[in-house]
Amino acid sequence: MKYYLKLGFILLIFCAIASGVLAYINTLTAPIIAERKAREAIETRSALIPGAEFHEVQASDGSIFYEARDPETQEIMGYTFNASDLGYSSTVQTMVGVDPDFKVIAIRIVDQAETPGLGANCTSPSFTDQYKGLAIEDLYVNKDGGVIVPIAGATITSRCIANSIRKKAIEVRDEINQGGGE
Amino acid sequence: MKFTKELTKGFVKDNPIFVLVLGLCPTLAVTTSVINGLGMGLAATFVLMCSNTIVSMIKNITPPKIRIPIYIVVIASFVTIVDMVMAAYLPALHKSLGLFIPLIVVNCIILGRAEAFASKNNVLMSIADGIGMGLGFTLSLVVIATVREILGAGTWLGMRVTPLSYDPMLIAILAPGAFITLGFLMALINMIKEKK
Repeated sequence: MKYYLKLGFILLIFCAIASGVLAYINTLTAPIIAERKAREAIETRSALIPGAEFHEVQASDGSIFYEARDPETQEIMGYTFNASDLGYSSTVQTMVGVDPDFKVIAIRIVDQAETPGLGANCTSPSFTDQYKGLAIEDLYVNKDGGVIVPIAGATITSRCIANSIRKKAIEVRDEINQGGGE
Repeated sequence: MKFTKELTKGFVKDNPIFVLVLGLCPTLAVTTSVINGLGMGLAATFVLMCSNTIVSMIKNITPPKIRIPIYIVVIASFVTIVDMVMAAYLPALHKSLGLFIPLIVVNCIILGRAEAFASKNNVLMSIADGIGMGLGFTLSLVVIATVREILGAGTWLGMRVTPLSYDPMLIAILAPGAFITLGFLMALINMIKEKK
């Protein structure tokens, strides 16, 4: 009995040292990672709606979207929001920019880990450029009655992207309409 | 000299993938492109080198009964360090390797070398073994990834190397392609070894 307690104690010491080292390294890297993510998000937003000034808006369900305004006239140029849904093997996250009429300006896949060679091709412009100019009701893959041509061999991924964007766009639109046309 | 021998044995003679056949899970999974193979290989080399060093240093105070959990703790710590540092400084590579970084923990090359080599040899030799095995692993990943990326995507390290008329064989990049490539390369290496 005593022997096993001793073994457990030795293991505890090893684990304690390891967690101490990891905690220290985490304090070094965590701020860099957080800052990099924030910077990436800002860069992506500005790429979607160039030349706009972004204001954070909190929706009633707690999610956040951004209002893009013209820096001079303060006129609304559009909105950007994140849409995400489960694809084939990962959660696919998309950042979407829409104009005030909720026609898509551009989309950017910000995070995915789909099958290389198939679903992972969703980041290529030949797929994402199809979304440009689409209205909410067109945001379906062609098998579901929309206009988006899915990636060959990756209908699930393509469908998940189209559906997640459509759902989120409707949510954001309703939110804005409720807010008295703000 | 013994040091150089330990350093170079991983390249061909005791190559971890083609000869020892260890660590096949990450091998099959990440070799879809050369850059992924290279990143995975170097990350694993770093972990292998560090864990071999520590395991060799603590071999006299490690009770034999709980050596495996202790090795795992050591290995997991280094993998977590690699994961965090990579996320901070090499975000693009970190993104494409994704899930496979934490999985270095269960890469049997690393536990295998800790158990079979580092726990019985001195620190210097263990470092040599770690670097050698790691580079051998990296080399194998790059070779497999080269075949798969060229056949499956028509590119090498992201640069187009095949004529535009070449229609990439998608299967090379999917899981079956990994098995087929590995099988052929293993046969080739066995053939060369037997001729010697």
